[in-house]
Amino acid sequence: MPITILPPSAPIATAHLKHEDSDEDMSDDDGLPIQSATSIVTPGETVTSDPQWMRGHGTYVPAETTTIISTVAGHLHKTNKLLSVQPLRARYQPEIGDLVVGRIVSVQTKKWTVDIAAPMLASLPLSAINLPGGILRRRTAVDELNIRTFFSEGDLLVAEVQSLHGDNTASLHTRSLKYGKLRNGLFTSLSGAGGGILSRRGGVVRSKRQTFTLQTSAGEIDVVLGVNGYIFVSAHNKSKQDEKDVSITSLEQGVSETLYSSQNDEIEPGVAREITRVSTLVKGLVACGRRVDEDMIVRVYEGAVDLDAEEKVMGSADRAGGAKGVVEAVLGRLEMGG
Amino acid sequence: MPLDTSTYSLALLRLDGRRWNELRNIHAQISTQAAADGSSYLEMGNTKVLCTVTGPAEGRQSGQRGGKDNEAKVEVEIGFAGFSGLERRKRKNDKRTSEMQHTLETAYSSLLLTHLYPHSTITLNIHILSQDGSLLAACINAATLALIDAGIPMTDYLVACTAASSATSAESDNSDPLLDLNNLEEQELSFLTVGTLGRSDRVSVLIMETRVRMERVEGMLAVGIDGCKRMREILDRVVKEYGQRFS
Repeated sequence: MPITILPPSAPIATAHLKHEDSDEDMSDDDGLPIQSATSIVTPGETVTSDPQWMRGHGTYVPAETTTIISTVAGHLHKTNKLLSVQPLRARYQPEIGDLVVGRIVSVQTKKWTVDIAAPMLASLPLSAINLPGGILRRRTAVDELNIRTFFSEGDLLVAEVQSLHGDNTASLHTRSLKYGKLRNGLFTSLSGAGGGILSRRGGVVRSKRQTFTLQTSAGEIDVVLGVNGYIFVSAHNKSKQDEKDVSITSLEQGVSETLYSSQNDEIEPGVAREITRVSTLVKGLVACGRRVDEDMIVRVYEGAVDLDAEEKVMGSADRAGGAKGVVEAVLGRLEMGG
Repeated sequence: MPLDTSTYSLALLRLDGRRWNELRNIHAQISTQAAADGSSYLEMGNTKVLCTVTGPAEGRQSGQRGGKDNEAKVEVEIGFAGFSGLERRKRKNDKRTSEMQHTLETAYSSLLLTHLYPHSTITLNIHILSQDGSLLAACINAATLALIDAGIPMTDYLVACTAASSATSAESDNSDPLLDLNNLEEQELSFLTVGTLGRSDRVSVLIMETRVRMERVEGMLAVGIDGCKRMREILDRVVKEYGQRFS
């Protein structure tokens, strides 16, 4: 029997798929950019072949053509004539001014290297921190020898991205009373959820206030939402409260000896429970694909407390378990109530 | 001959009842592990592979910068589960595994836009849970999905599948090329693994460990490339279905 080799363009009748034709042909090649909110573009998909568009992030133009092709799976964004594709999930890309939570990876002679969930480790120079006591002076050799008294390996800190280098390595600084070592709390990592990616629904986005204080029944707790997807929820630091609005010029009053302490204070069980609750709710918000910001956390926290109180009285909880189940239940109630 | 392939010419059905140009049932998921930067799970018939991507991140040894010339370095580690094959393997790392790792490393180094992440390292961890032929092809397909999940830019999907020639003896001329082999067929027939870039015919991976007559290669290659195109559609559908969750 003679064999016939199919030409490469002919389709092969193959594979019994489980999901038969559940979706329509969504790719509208060669036309204007896909504007439908429901569809995404995937790597290798032609976004447009019209030369009037410019390529942005997440796209590329093969040599000697004008066709713009997507390189990631995500939603298409149009800014005037600029086309860019925002991936559904990606690592955090640092930008100047971002508030980030990081962990010290190693200590070097004049700087620390910090994990901020970016492609490269960030560096925190010794000259970019506040010295205890608020003294403003040049860093001496003595400071270099005592570098581990400020931060040592494994310490958590909140900092701001001061500058970016050529290879996208970030330099951090903590020269404000808002920044510095973190303690008395719980660290949570939201993987692939940092960076304020526009098309992604869940996760931390760049907003006006990344750190805030939440009023709870057991007391106040601080929440730090790092743009890089690292979250720190801690018991409220009272000393910071007193010296609010201290400008960089009058640091002396603010910076006390406890600034670089690695010793946790005694935390009351009630506060610890609320810290855990907030941290779990943040994870649940991300699992539900919701945005994590101050307003959302406050609303969901209050809803969750009400729900908890009701369930204690009523008994039997009729919902899915886990953080996602709680957040779904709370959001459902909030939407019903208006 | 442990396996009788002579029956193929009678009914034109393979051992598992497929035609010559049929792929096995493919099931794929992406974003299976929340803690990883990117992850995927892929089944091609009874071959089951789990892939996680870490990175782009700083290399493991501190001070050691990633790839040369301001590009990211791609590292691949393949691990076989003890229960994945018919018999447990004694040694951890053999030459075939390191060749597979090397194949994947070189393929993805050229596919990914590594210049966007200078000095960093992209690590692919592939766990083979069950082996039933087309292992390298399954690894490539799973790795492509995991890299898409990690949001690492690439020019196009890299997809792979296997193709063989059904003729075992030199004299028989009436032979079909076969697509997507299972383990029994792989042991019996000479086969090649071909990986192409998306919809194009550009072959980026081509590996053959067995001997075959020269004139059969063209047919095998044509069938393999066709299979890759079908595979790309299937993987693309998986990614698009996943994307619907974010709309």
